[in-house]
Amino acid sequence: MASIIRKELKLLIKGKGNFFFLILMPMLFIALFGAVFSGLGNSTVAIDYVNQDNTALTRTFLHDVGSIKGFALQEEPASSLASQIQKVKDGKTASLLVIPKGFGARLESGDGSAALRLYVDPTSDSVSGPIESALNGVANAYRMKRIASVLVAAGRSPNQIGQILRSPIAIHTVSVSGSGMTMLDQVVPGYTVMFVFFIILSMMRSFLGEKESGMLSRLRTTSLRPWHYLIGMWIPAIIAVLIQCVILLAFGHFVFGIHLGDLTAIALLVISLAICGTGIGLAISLLVRGENQGRGITMLIAMGGAALGGLWVPSQLMPPIVQTIGRFTPQYWAQQGFQDVMLRGGHVGSTWQMMAVLLAFRVIGLMVALLRFRSFMRTATN
Amino acid sequence: MEAVLEVQDLTKSYGGSQALKGLTFSVRQGACFGLLGPNGAGKSTTMKIITGIVEADGGSVRILGKSIKKDGRQVRKFVGYVPQNITLYEKLSARDNLAFFGQMYGLQSKELDFRIDEVLQQIGLFNRQREPVEKFSGGMKRRVNIAVAMLHRPKLLILDEPTVGIDPQSRNHIFELINSLKEEGVTVVYSTHYMEEVEALCDDVAIVDHGDLIAHGSLADVLSRFGHSVVYVESPGFEALVPEVMGGSVSRQGAGWIIDCESPVNTMKGILDLAAARSVEISTMGIRRPSLESVFLSLTGTSLRD
Repeated sequence: MASIIRKELKLLIKGKGNFFFLILMPMLFIALFGAVFSGLGNSTVAIDYVNQDNTALTRTFLHDVGSIKGFALQEEPASSLASQIQKVKDGKTASLLVIPKGFGARLESGDGSAALRLYVDPTSDSVSGPIESALNGVANAYRMKRIASVLVAAGRSPNQIGQILRSPIAIHTVSVSGSGMTMLDQVVPGYTVMFVFFIILSMMRSFLGEKESGMLSRLRTTSLRPWHYLIGMWIPAIIAVLIQCVILLAFGHFVFGIHLGDLTAIALLVISLAICGTGIGLAISLLVRGENQGRGITMLIAMGGAALGGLWVPSQLMPPIVQTIGRFTPQYWAQQGFQDVMLRGGHVGSTWQMMAVLLAFRVIGLMVALLRFRSFMRTATN
Repeated sequence: MEAVLEVQDLTKSYGGSQALKGLTFSVRQGACFGLLGPNGAGKSTTMKIITGIVEADGGSVRILGKSIKKDGRQVRKFVGYVPQNITLYEKLSARDNLAFFGQMYGLQSKELDFRIDEVLQQIGLFNRQREPVEKFSGGMKRRVNIAVAMLHRPKLLILDEPTVGIDPQSRNHIFELINSLKEEGVTVVYSTHYMEEVEALCDDVAIVDHGDLIAHGSLADVLSRFGHSVVYVESPGFEALVPEVMGGSVSRQGAGWIIDCESPVNTMKGILDLAAARSVEISTMGIRRPSLESVFLSLTGTSLRD
């Protein structure tokens, strides 16, 4: 068995494609998405506006809008209003705020509402929606100010005014995790977990290659015990995944500064994930009839599991039905485990459930592999 | 002499087609046994059953008196198998390949190192042992392919078409290798398309066609039983004598003539008498022994390489 392990490890090292697929490509993905998302926490949404009024009150209003965290005002010349509206129509700009002439005077008079126009591109809800909410927030603040001034005029004390204007619902935001989450905390464990499942391709190529080349039938003429062969082919894949995870997580830690948390818990999660991914790889390798079929199934497991398991976007942001389906993927449990340790300061005690689920997937994979192994060996007659 | 390999009533079907129809033969100890047959005759199936790769539908295979079915693991220690395809790890060096297979055959540490050195010398690749196999020529790969099966000093070495597509130098190496193994007392089962290889290497032969054994015995015995000698004549005026040659059919071959006859000596005497009577000069005359090619042709009605 040790001979097979040594041989497989040598072949894994000498196979340049393996290094690229298992190490280099995930590093490139992490580097790419890491670079893209690393500054997302500080990014702002630009509010393009045209000021046709340009009074002191208008400038105060704009100052209030510009003070909202996460938003930045960007003035466009009043003369180019038509072309700015066209830009929104063409989808080049998500929205355009127009402050019409007379806005300040109307606001000052308090006679009715001072109207603003917000042009939006309906296909850019994700940008125009927050802008609309922000403007509503500022408008609401102005409304409160007006009510307060009416109450002052009516002779109410500041305490009374405060009580009247106090919202019946108070929201207290309490951060329960050890540190705030950034997209990098999603990307680094997410892509590490995703690329672990690409080991299935390498395993399948090894098994099918040995079968089709006649190597396996030749080995069957030696003193080799079949189960030694199975385990001998499995262990190098586990070792490869362990090395892969260590390199990728270290890359995330040292290059992007992600916090790894309890290293013992991380190590146990990595081991569980390696055994799980390769266990499934073993099953697929012995089940498929050809490389093309295997490649299709691997892509389905690796990419489908990544999408459903919340490796690309946090599971919580997905529709409930997708979240439920995602729970049936090993990727979900691996990602939850990593984030529990990295973001919420989890330890072995809090991640045992994730590890248990990963090992359950391993057991299923191994059972399928064992059921297929005899037939796989018997049909190796090339 | 004791039989190392006994094959009895071997049958095997693939789907509806019967690959082996009750094959029976034996191979004596120390012999080089040639298994002949055209493509699809059942040679490879027979070899794979003998090595335990394929299970027979019926019949039995005994190696050194032990059943391949019941005592497979024990039997495999005595058998070396060289498949038709080159089954080596191309990325690994020749030495790494040999080390891996040696371990698969149960060799360890010093004994393994010693045997690797020995077989590398035997196949003439000792100086290139550290190079990856992918850099070797086809012939060199074939030599390593054979060396793999020799590491554990098998008592029975089975070679399935070991010289397909190789250069003359490698072919000579392989021939020398097989002859030296024979001298060491190793029994060799050798399957090939090349008749001249069988004639050069084998003591005994079996000819298989459509899953049937159509001839089996020592090479000399098979040649004498199923082939016959012919008379070869070279003469400038022989064409005029052809209608009068008695006792056989006459055909041209190269610069001379072949007379296929029952009694070559009497035919030669008749031709000499006829030539003397017609004053025709005979420049060359002789008896040619039968070839396996002609035996095969007469038994199956087809050339082996068709």
